[in-house]
Amino acid sequence: MADGEKAAFAGNVIGIEREIKEITDAIERSGSGAPPHIAIIAEPMSGRTTIVDEIRRIYSDRVHYLPLKFVINQSALPDFSSLPGDIILIENCQFLTTRVIGGFDVLDTFLHMQITSKKIFITTWNTYSWHYLSSVMNIDAYFPTIVTLTRMDAPLLKQVILSRYKSGEIRFVDGGADERAMFFSVIHQSVRLPFTATEISVPWIKLNFILILHGLPRKKRVQISIEDVIFEKINRIARGNPGVAILLWNASLKDNAISLSAITVSSYSISLDPDESFILSVILSMESLHAKDLSAIAGSEMDIERVLYRLIQQGLVRDDTGYYSIMPFALGPVTEYLKKTRRLW
Amino acid sequence: MADTLLSNVTADVAMELPIKTIDTNLILYIVSIIIIAYVISYLLSFILVHVSERIGWYRTSVTMTIPLLKLLVYMVALYYIIIAVIEPSLTQMIAFSGLFGAAIGFGLKDLFSDIVGGIVIIFEKPYQIGDKVTIGDKYGEVKDIGIRSTRIQTPADELVSVPNNTIFSQPVTSGNAGDLAMMIVIDLFIHPDSDADTAMKILKEALVTSKYVIISKRYPYTVLFEDFPFYKRIRAKGYVNDLRLEFEFKSEVTRRSWAELKKAGIRPPSIVPPSADMSGQSPATIL
Repeated sequence: MADGEKAAFAGNVIGIEREIKEITDAIERSGSGAPPHIAIIAEPMSGRTTIVDEIRRIYSDRVHYLPLKFVINQSALPDFSSLPGDIILIENCQFLTTRVIGGFDVLDTFLHMQITSKKIFITTWNTYSWHYLSSVMNIDAYFPTIVTLTRMDAPLLKQVILSRYKSGEIRFVDGGADERAMFFSVIHQSVRLPFTATEISVPWIKLNFILILHGLPRKKRVQISIEDVIFEKINRIARGNPGVAILLWNASLKDNAISLSAITVSSYSISLDPDESFILSVILSMESLHAKDLSAIAGSEMDIERVLYRLIQQGLVRDDTGYYSIMPFALGPVTEYLKKTRRLW
Repeated sequence: MADTLLSNVTADVAMELPIKTIDTNLILYIVSIIIIAYVISYLLSFILVHVSERIGWYRTSVTMTIPLLKLLVYMVALYYIIIAVIEPSLTQMIAFSGLFGAAIGFGLKDLFSDIVGGIVIIFEKPYQIGDKVTIGDKYGEVKDIGIRSTRIQTPADELVSVPNNTIFSQPVTSGNAGDLAMMIVIDLFIHPDSDADTAMKILKEALVTSKYVIISKRYPYTVLFEDFPFYKRIRAKGYVNDLRLEFEFKSEVTRRSWAELKKAGIRPPSIVPPSADMSGQSPATIL
């Protein structure tokens, strides 16, 4: 690939350049040996599709693209050897399993086909599904390259969002200096653990030195830009998830103007019984599930209609013509709640 | 001779002790200290138990401080009562505690061995509030570690008070040792002609897809097979994410496994081994 072309795509994929490079490196490295299968792991709405589109663009002549939209059964698995292209790109591989007895058979077959194939498989997974499958069946062993999309920081988010507009197109309305009092912000730093190849995202407190200095007497007044404060607030509410942040941005933007007071956050007080927590964790890790799959997972012991009613009524889940998914703004609170109650490991 | 000497010394010390006149005020004062100590320790335990219920993952870390705080409250109360009755110097305090010790040794041996047991439990932590334990032949969740006794709630919802000195004479088993997850063993017995591979796969999948399970490097699971003359045993070991749901976990996995086993044509054996439940043993001993 020409250098000029590489530079061109770098502009469209702000924030995920490192991940794209990791993937292209792994593909370029592949020699005559076993193909380097790649797993891309990310939370819902955190830019999996962007990365997939970029890979499709870079390797347009080599990729066969296969997006999964719902749970598939054994017969729906194609014969990968007969497909065109030497890279098979499958999106939403969490749909290869269901959390029922016998629900891993499709994935077993798929993994067997993958390791016996000469093609490179690039697969994307929901983080929570991946962690589950990694604990249950050690799925990591099938993928030499695992790329994890980390959470975004406010400056990066600002870059991502503003790249969609012309310079000066957006007006940032100053609602008063008192609203800017944010002495610290939470950022997410990637840390490589010693002795292992894994990288984890650690929440980190970043002190806002400018604002602290500003508060001190006899110091020169340093003006912090309203833009930064707005993006800081959006990122904090979205908990570093770019998809949620963009939705929040769109919801708060009125006539190309945005102010701090326009960014509102709905609060959730979540209280669920074990059945509801379980179904919520299943929906979160599958991202979108049909009612019939949910009722198979729930089994005869659970009243799935009642559980779904309760989840929708609390504003945590939405019903999109029979497919259930987590409400985007509830994503952060739901994840925190499920981690606290050990439904997500 | 020695007896006379000892009695002289104790009489001297007792005479020198500036014991205050015991009047209604003093009694009221002591009674109010006891009441305040009781109320504080009750409130502390009430608040911390409620906080721990909301805190999720770290439930047991909060409850483990309760006995220690209670001990502290009662020690402070005792100190205030002593200085209210007497105003001892160091020598008098030592002499007084000697006498006190002798009194305990003879009269209140059991009570004080329970209190010492309570202190040992607080510091050595053989179990904590919230643990599932077997003490003697009693199994259940530790609800409270008091100064004199430990209260255990059995699966049949009985509240059993076990004297704290039991830990000196009886082995104590804690199923989870302060953790919220606990390993559960689930046995299925199948007919000797059955296909063990299919049965193991079904039990494994019933375990890992259970809504109560937790699996990670720290909480691994395993499925084992053993052949007996009249039946085959498939044993699954896995962790329940909250020990309060141990029986629900066991029941859910067993029920779903059997539904699937029957579909696969696997039958139960004609002869079933006697279960520990039937012989009245605690579930924890079926290991």
